[in-house]
Amino acid sequence: MRGSIPILRIGDALLATVHVELHDAVAEAFQTDVLTAVEKRRTRGLVIDISGLDMVDTYVARILADTGRMAKLMGTATVLVGMRPEVSATLVRMGYTMEGVHTALDLDEGLALLRRLRTRRR
Amino acid sequence: MVVEARTRREMKIASEDDVALVRRAVRALAESHRFDVFASAAITTATSELTRNVWVHGRGGVALLEEVSDDERMGIRVTFRDEGPGIEDVERVLAGGYSTAKSMGLGLSGSRRLVDEFHLESIPGRGTCIQILKWQPF
Amino acid sequence: MSHRKYMKTLRLDDADLRSRRAFFELRDEDLARLATLRPFAEKHTDAIVDAFYELLLGHPETRRFFADDATIRRVKHAQREYFLGLFQGKCDLAYVEDRLRVGAAHERIGLAPRWYLGAYRRYLQLMHDRLFADLPEAEARAGFDSVQRLVFFDIALAVDTYIAANLDAVGRHQAAIRELSTPVIRVHDRILLLPLVGAIDSVRAQQVMDTVLLRVVEEKAKCIIIDIAGVPVVDTKVADNLVKTTASVRLLGAQTILTGISAQVARTMVQLGVDISAMHTLSNLSEGIELALDIVGKGITSKSRLRGGAGGRPAKREG
Repeated sequence: MRGSIPILRIGDALLATVHVELHDAVAEAFQTDVLTAVEKRRTRGLVIDISGLDMVDTYVARILADTGRMAKLMGTATVLVGMRPEVSATLVRMGYTMEGVHTALDLDEGLALLRRLRTRRR
Repeated sequence: MVVEARTRREMKIASEDDVALVRRAVRALAESHRFDVFASAAITTATSELTRNVWVHGRGGVALLEEVSDDERMGIRVTFRDEGPGIEDVERVLAGGYSTAKSMGLGLSGSRRLVDEFHLESIPGRGTCIQILKWQPF
Repeated sequence: MSHRKYMKTLRLDDADLRSRRAFFELRDEDLARLATLRPFAEKHTDAIVDAFYELLLGHPETRRFFADDATIRRVKHAQREYFLGLFQGKCDLAYVEDRLRVGAAHERIGLAPRWYLGAYRRYLQLMHDRLFADLPEAEARAGFDSVQRLVFFDIALAVDTYIAANLDAVGRHQAAIRELSTPVIRVHDRILLLPLVGAIDSVRAQQVMDTVLLRVVEEKAKCIIIDIAGVPVVDTKVADNLVKTTASVRLLGAQTILTGISAQVARTMVQLGVDISAMHTLSNLSEGIELALDIVGKGITSKSRLRGGAGGRPAKREG
């Protein structure tokens, strides 16, 4: 279970690519892995790529938002990238707009956003 | 217009894996009826929410998947039944909005907005029955 | 549509076949009886088919489908096959597929249902008269009863063919209308523009949002300008949809700029309590384009500034 979702280092940011369904055990392991990585590798930013998810319900959305919040508490900004158009439409239609979560089109845009956020913070 | 069920399939909801199985079965039905990605995501997500509710809050139950038609078009109808504690304040839960973690509120009210028809019956202490229907988009 | 596509569209499978046979009360004994009447059928085929075409050729609206003698010979031959097909004693999916092929052919040439139905009536009359002329009354009655069940079963298939063909045409038209009603234009690298024109009902609103999202991802847009100057009524539903679209576009990492907001619309939106805090809103399109360019890190400069002096060569070449 640990390690189901690969976490790579890209520059001074971390990239977690979610390509499997995030249910209970997998979700918890994902959060643990991410936070451990953030702590150990002293990273400046976290990019979570969800382009592989064709469905995100409120359960999964909450896990993603929570992970971002946990990382933020540790001083790391999080950007969600690659959301599919139908996933976005469905979340918003349900009333779940994921406000407070940074989003970008893809990894490149995500890294650029993280750089801008860091500059702003200084 | 009379809505007729063409096919029926009952699936148990007794484990976390069953949630994924039910969801996948509904998605397969949507794709076989040429639902576009948005309609497919809508019915699949609503199914995921409600199946999860049965599993987490209803202490397990069943999902009945039906392909229906009313002479004009085809649709997918899913009925969720459980014998769990039931929903105390249906109105408040359906009014929706955000709710604390682990609560079923947002999933329920959110699902309602994704489908064409939504019926809920719940008797506290006895159980809950929720039926959703989504028509094939034009 | 091909007859195979009709089978699919009409969801004609064994279950559906059983359901149809049950409703038309087409029993195995009826099919068996029709099989025993085959000799009768073969004896009268030519006469019945000729009399059948007397009706079609004698009526101007149906005559035009039979341009020349060659056509008439061909269809009479096909009609003979059809007629004898009623006395095979079978009614399985192969039979149904065959009937649909006939229905598809008629639909393709544009023969309207009423001519079809009138022709079937003629058929039934011809068979009735011959059965009662040839056979003892009880037998004739039983035979006609079975023939009627199968003929009505066939009529239902023919009518379904028309309906399926029409639904298909409607579907195609609707797809075309959808594309025309949500014309998302790429005005510049990573900048999209959607000029919304006309009334927006809830169905169209949903289609607009879906199309916008698909295009934003397709074009990797950083922003989309939605101009609503051409929308006559902006009510709660329309405003709500614009808010939802903006929220969804944001989740894809892009921004929405709303332009073409008249004084009237501005008033309505504020009075309705629409939360526009997350949206860029401007009154006219050109301001929207300037803002969009700014977002992607570009701007519009006048050429004279680039030239650096009257009559001089351009100091910088664009693009």
